[in-house]
Amino acid sequence: MNIIEFSNISKKFGNLKANDNISFAVRKNSVHCIVGENGAGKSTLMKILFGSYRQDSGIMKVNGSDVSFNSPLDAIANGIGMLHQHFMLIEDFTVMENVILGSEKTLNIKIDFEESERVLKEYIKKYNLDLNLNKKISELSISEQQKVEILKLLYRNSEIIIFDEPTAVLSPIEVLEFFKIIFQFKVEGKTIILITHKLNEVREISDYVSVLRRGKLVYETEKDILDLKVLSREIVGNVEIQDENTGFDYEGEPEVIAGLNNINLSVNKISVLNNLDLKLKKGEVYGICGVEGNGQNEVINILFGLEKNFTGKLNIFTDKISLVPDDRLKKGMIKEFSVGENLIIKKKECHYISNKCLKKTAEETISKYDVRMPDINAPMESLSGGNQQKVIIAREIELGNDLLIFSHPTRGVDIAASAFIHSTILQQKKKGKSILLVSSDLDEILKLSDRLGVISKGRIVAEFDRNQYNLQNEVEKTILLESIGKLMIGITGEQKN
Amino acid sequence: MRLFTPYYLGANAANFSERSGVINIAIEGFIIISALGYALFTIFSGSAIVGLVMAVLISVSFSLLFSLFVIKLKINQIVAGVGFNLLMAGLAKFLIVFLFQSSSNTPRFNSLPNIFFLESIPYLGKVLSDYIILFSFALVFISNFVLFKTKFGLRLRSVGENPEAGESLGIKVRLYKLYGVIICGFLASLGGIWLASNQNSFSDGMIAGRGYIAIAAMIIGKWKPVNIFIACMMFAFFEALEISLQISGTFIPSQIVQMLPYMITLLVLIGFIGKTKPPAADGIPY
Repeated sequence: MNIIEFSNISKKFGNLKANDNISFAVRKNSVHCIVGENGAGKSTLMKILFGSYRQDSGIMKVNGSDVSFNSPLDAIANGIGMLHQHFMLIEDFTVMENVILGSEKTLNIKIDFEESERVLKEYIKKYNLDLNLNKKISELSISEQQKVEILKLLYRNSEIIIFDEPTAVLSPIEVLEFFKIIFQFKVEGKTIILITHKLNEVREISDYVSVLRRGKLVYETEKDILDLKVLSREIVGNVEIQDENTGFDYEGEPEVIAGLNNINLSVNKISVLNNLDLKLKKGEVYGICGVEGNGQNEVINILFGLEKNFTGKLNIFTDKISLVPDDRLKKGMIKEFSVGENLIIKKKECHYISNKCLKKTAEETISKYDVRMPDINAPMESLSGGNQQKVIIAREIELGNDLLIFSHPTRGVDIAASAFIHSTILQQKKKGKSILLVSSDLDEILKLSDRLGVISKGRIVAEFDRNQYNLQNEVEKTILLESIGKLMIGITGEQKN
Repeated sequence: MRLFTPYYLGANAANFSERSGVINIAIEGFIIISALGYALFTIFSGSAIVGLVMAVLISVSFSLLFSLFVIKLKINQIVAGVGFNLLMAGLAKFLIVFLFQSSSNTPRFNSLPNIFFLESIPYLGKVLSDYIILFSFALVFISNFVLFKTKFGLRLRSVGENPEAGESLGIKVRLYKLYGVIICGFLASLGGIWLASNQNSFSDGMIAGRGYIAIAAMIIGKWKPVNIFIACMMFAFFEALEISLQISGTFIPSQIVQMLPYMITLLVLIGFIGKTKPPAADGIPY
């Protein structure tokens, strides 16, 4: 029996079709995995199901009847619970207070703590959650906090439970514990929807799998006929690659400019970098591809000096490093400041911010980087995403540094601006700069990089040299894409069935 | 011990507001306006009970107005609070001049009735026979119970700590903030009424920053009713000491003696309290 049915669900954000005519059903008492790359539309769809967003068009049925949720409360009333990626917990409250909040059992005017404790202890025992109800959230580890969220769902008798990348924050042993909880849910007759992009997890626990790519449902399969090879192909899709990286060769000596050797890093006792090795050379674009959250940001932070608590050897032969960060609004600029101010904020000249100085810098930038803006005094936030990104890239490149780090340089940027940014990166390479490119856009990585490393679980699991493959050859390209896709989602040779 | 009353009422008022995530420095203003309200309505009606009821109503209505500004319109809470305080102080002065042609005080008026049969108890009679003083002692238990043992308290505190989490569980965040501010207005009004009733006259500047001291006591008490009680007792003790020193006359210049309670505040804040942690979402509009 179908407990949830999506038919023709569409949702647009501006020009982006986050969900494009998605139709599928979730069977009652099954574990249904929804997989896909970042930005494939998984979270959007689940937020629609949970009432956080409303679809632009399409119909959603829960338990056979049409539903239209205005807020998560409507979803909760229909027995749907969601475990968010970012926990909704109150740090200063105890586990008990967090769980009962909003659905308190009362005795006269008092909260009936004894009764609540009895009920919760039963759940804790049944699901083996191992939680102390009187501890404060701030004293708990991430995995314990997740268990508190699970307890919240149990306490509210949710029948349909959505997990949004629940294992991203867990260590391997904790993942196994989590799976046990999921199995228990199934035994209890609940329905589980799991968003993930880890394919080995899909293999272990799913009954049904739906693959989303660029907002569309592209593939559906089920446990008995699950083929991970096909699945990984469907997730990555058929990437169209134009080989742009020619004619930008650097003629000098390809000296090593930075080297990471055997780097290990743990955050909150979870290992994020695991014996990572990486060499960056002059006149070369090194691309790191992988599913987000596999250690890319940590590599950048170590190179840029933001992260110091690692073990292993870091050799950097320059102190002139530029970073174009992934989140331009938060990390790349001061959005309330004007374009001119954002441009000169790192400059060593211009101690006194004169109009002359601002104007000169701005005019140079406008012409050189083709930034479209009303005037230099316009606040940064009034520019379009592509132009904002160009301003940031201009600022970082104009510093003339030797090592340039680009993190998702064309995320949310339109095609024309992307092309411009790509050619800017290649020109810098020709000048002998060393470039580290981190992106979840495989297309972009293949286009630009001379060497590329696939990162998975905090480790470069494979490196490919541009000379080793020929992108013009369809067969070679397919083989390359398939192997990268598999490596990205953590299927290595020894894990094959 | 009697001096403790307005501090503890004010500090608890502030605490209910801050626990719901609204920084309410307008307490000073609430105390002023309710003291004045009590004075005016007692004078004009001749009944202290009418004065009491009207003063509470006035203070609660002003707290509704304050809620409108900071919860609905999301005006910066500090700015709104300062604005309220200045407005109340000005309004009080204006009304005194306008109604009584006096530059500083109202005529004398009645105090609230007492529990007369308790008055004769030696030493403690004055304390035990005063309803408001008794109420403020009871408030230690009431506040603790309401904040930590009831559904209402749990929800109120949740919106002050993490309104997003509260909302995800179906709690009406703004409504609970409104409750917090109204309770604040109510408790602050009792503080003002007590002050006016005890002096039998309202004079310009008589509140003398007690609202702010109450907020300091709340911070020193780490937002917990019992700790706040201790902090208020301490302030009251130093104020009593100041008064008795002034009356008995010492070689210490009176200005220094008057500074005492405030200096102690600073010293305590610097030295003995350590890090205090306000509700996580305190002061952030939602």
